Amino acid sequence: MSKGGRQAYAALSVLAAGALVLTGCSKGGSDTGDNKKQDKENAQRQQASIKFGGASDSQGPAPEVPGAKSGGTISVPQRDSLAHLDPAQIYVSNESQMALLYHRGLTGFKATSNDGKQHEVVGDLATDSGTTTDGGKTWKYTLKDGVKWEDGSPITSKDVRQSVERLFAPFINTGPSYLQQWLANTPGADYRKLLPDGPYKGKHLPNSILETPDDKTIIFHFKTAHPDLPYALGMVGYAMVSQKGDTKERYDKKPVTCGPYKIASFKSGKSMVLVKNPNWDPKTDPMRHQYVDQFNITFNHQFEDSTKALLADGTADQTSVSFQNAVDAGNLSKVLSDPKMKSRTVEGYQPFVGQMNINMSHPAMQDKKVREAIAYALPVSPFQRAYGGSDAMDIPGGIISPTVSGYDPNFDPWNRKNKPAGDPAKAKKLLQEAGKVGMKLTFGYINSQEGQAYSTAMAAGLKKAGFDVQRQEIPAESYYDQVSKIKNNYDIFNSNWGADWPSASTVIPPSFDGRQIADGASNYSQLNDPQVNNEIDRINKITDPVKAAAAWEKLDKHIVKDIINIVPTGYFKQVQIAGSKIGGLAYDDVIGAIDPRRVYVK
Amino acid sequence: MLRFLVRRSLGALVILFLLSIVAFLLFFGMPRDPALLMCGKGCTPANVANIHHVLGLDKSIPEQYWIFLHNLVAGSDGFAQGPCPAPCFGYSYHTNEEVWGTLMDRLPTTLSLTLGGAVCFLIIGLSTGLIAAWKRGTLVDKTFTAGAMVISSMQIYFLGPLLLAVLVYQAHVFDKPDYNPFTTDPVAWFTGLIVPWVVLSTIFASQYTRMARSSMIEQLQEEHVRTARAKGMSRRYVFFRYAWRGSLIPIVTIFGIDLGSLLGGAIITEYTFGLPGLGRLAVEAVQFSDLPLLLGVMLFSATMILLFNIIVDACYAFIDPRVRLS
Repeated sequence: MSKGGRQAYAALSVLAAGALVLTGCSKGGSDTGDNKKQDKENAQRQQASIKFGGASDSQGPAPEVPGAKSGGTISVPQRDSLAHLDPAQIYVSNESQMALLYHRGLTGFKATSNDGKQHEVVGDLATDSGTTTDGGKTWKYTLKDGVKWEDGSPITSKDVRQSVERLFAPFINTGPSYLQQWLANTPGADYRKLLPDGPYKGKHLPNSILETPDDKTIIFHFKTAHPDLPYALGMVGYAMVSQKGDTKERYDKKPVTCGPYKIASFKSGKSMVLVKNPNWDPKTDPMRHQYVDQFNITFNHQFEDSTKALLADGTADQTSVSFQNAVDAGNLSKVLSDPKMKSRTVEGYQPFVGQMNINMSHPAMQDKKVREAIAYALPVSPFQRAYGGSDAMDIPGGIISPTVSGYDPNFDPWNRKNKPAGDPAKAKKLLQEAGKVGMKLTFGYINSQEGQAYSTAMAAGLKKAGFDVQRQEIPAESYYDQVSKIKNNYDIFNSNWGADWPSASTVIPPSFDGRQIADGASNYSQLNDPQVNNEIDRINKITDPVKAAAAWEKLDKHIVKDIINIVPTGYFKQVQIAGSKIGGLAYDDVIGAIDPRRVYVK
Repeated sequence: MLRFLVRRSLGALVILFLLSIVAFLLFFGMPRDPALLMCGKGCTPANVANIHHVLGLDKSIPEQYWIFLHNLVAGSDGFAQGPCPAPCFGYSYHTNEEVWGTLMDRLPTTLSLTLGGAVCFLIIGLSTGLIAAWKRGTLVDKTFTAGAMVISSMQIYFLGPLLLAVLVYQAHVFDKPDYNPFTTDPVAWFTGLIVPWVVLSTIFASQYTRMARSSMIEQLQEEHVRTARAKGMSRRYVFFRYAWRGSLIPIVTIFGIDLGSLLGGAIITEYTFGLPGLGRLAVEAVQFSDLPLLLGVMLFSATMILLFNIIVDACYAFIDPRVRLS
């Protein structure tokens, strides 16, 4: 997904970024050796592969959080309201994160350490993360005993069938589409032809695609291998929907839940109250806790405001924590340099990576020497500064982020870690060799506070190398609409992309598969390289996640270093803070933020 | 009076009708597509077309406009999300909430913010303006006038965060701004809105100070006021009985415009203090290219402004008997 959750939420990402950069961007006092060491450790642990857990890993209850107590109410100030409560419509990170408290799926990502650093994919409602006997073409799941909806009725395979089949209905259009495409064995939106009306007009997926032989068993049949299925099913977008309670479009406002909490009230744009679900059985859940009696969630809190309130730690804010909001850029240095305040923070990488796209459809950009010159000349330090400095952004190497398997911290093809401001001399030499000194370069940039800031400095860096840079402003609200058009005027433009699960299979194919070039699609640089396309197909068939990660890593390096259709501009990070009476605070690498499932009131 | 009200109301309806057409055309003239904003990963033209169909955006603009007007007047049962009684603006593209219900849900916040703020800025602005006029040329007058000038140059987005930092987060003098319904907890309603009221009244009061002062001074120079003084009436009596009433017309005019605008959504104030009112809703509508919500907020705001214009015009007749509503 793009930052904030795919281009659907480009506007949100713009706001997110705006909130991070209210007061400019010094490196601040927190850029210490300790922090760099911690960043490196974070990166190392976050790149570790996530294994598929078996039946014993999938059993509940979840291991107790040390020192945890039951009871109390936690207030949760969030910036963005939840547009969707229907799991099939959920894709955005803040909605997915909150939904972990009330929705459950067949699988899930279980933190196997108390600091949120180690994970495995386990069965959530299912007894394990899935079994396959043919390399990922057929996957079998069995529902656990005792799993119930909030009304006490049992969750059966009929509910799973309903949840899968309704994904094909026309009104489901904001959630993920991996599973649908895999079942229909077709890319793009043609999957809808498999079951155009979903399950609502009496038609169902045949047993050759989805089999539910009894109340407990679910078998997925794919035409080609999909070894990533346990990861994909862990997305909230594939959480279960009650067949009995399915009200189609209206489900988005009043879903039937099965997690440890149920929705007592939801006022769009204002507030939400979550209370304990008495029909949730901890013995069936290996990932979640029910320590807190109630979550009072309120929306419309800007990062700066929530940070100030939590820093002040007044009586009401001591039991307050924002799952979404980060410490704003203006307060980052202050927070991280004060040990007392820092003890209430957690930090980590977000899945998002910034990348400067070089428009491969423009004839002038088809000269590799020109692209190489751009890669050497482009300063990335302005991008880092614009988003809040080194506490909010790391200098990148490849396009695979530190949160994704296959990340290589030593990959630095353009010597960015030593020369984050670029190497204009080397770039100029390349441009001279290409005979293109003074060539016009149209730089489309987003009209946001940070876009204005980084584009000016980046353009200056490119000018030093001999490019005639023409900056063209693009309104923030329509930025992704404009840059994702096949016919656009921009030679270079930035975009942010994040993995949907910790595998590069959700980064490289959507960004670089040439067969997916279309208006609105996410192959922004319009790279259509047969070798890359074939390699994507080959790696997608690798069933061993470790081998797949290694193959994606190699392809990442080939694209970034040899093809040069993009120049990575930054790895997004964030620091979050909680009130002094919040316990169980951990930055979960998979969520990319605070884990709401384990917090308690001290 | 009745004729006046009917005539102005009909005029207002024509303006709203024209405004809705302009808003509709502007929406489709924008270089962005709400379907692209909703389109999931692997977005393709076919997926965009599907969303267009679901939202009804595949119909011609005149047809969409006709459906909008029809639903607005007659309501509709044709929405998959549920019934939509008149006045039906449809369902939000982004949240699937019924627009009219959302407007009504957000209105109390804006209403509380506006009315509380208006009471504060009227009392402060008019009293300082009257004192300045009464003490014309003195240090008091100069202090109030200069103070009003300085304060009027401040902005909500500057003063708001400043007061929040000092009074709420550091000194803990006031509660964090928040909206609690008056009917459920009047004390929380009051304490949660104090800071926004203070900011709103600080910014707005200054123009009322200047307006009240200049208007009073102008009135005090009128012939009927001088005549009253010449007839031996006391300064205080003439000030309040004769000059004050005459000076109200420009104040009421500006108050009507301010009140209408604020009720349509105090965008910056609501955004600064995180209050879920109509102003914030307007921002969300633009942010998500949410046509039904955009039209709902725009027409509701325009209605408020037109309504208060009519009320202001009607008030002229009560304030000044020389004005005839014909």
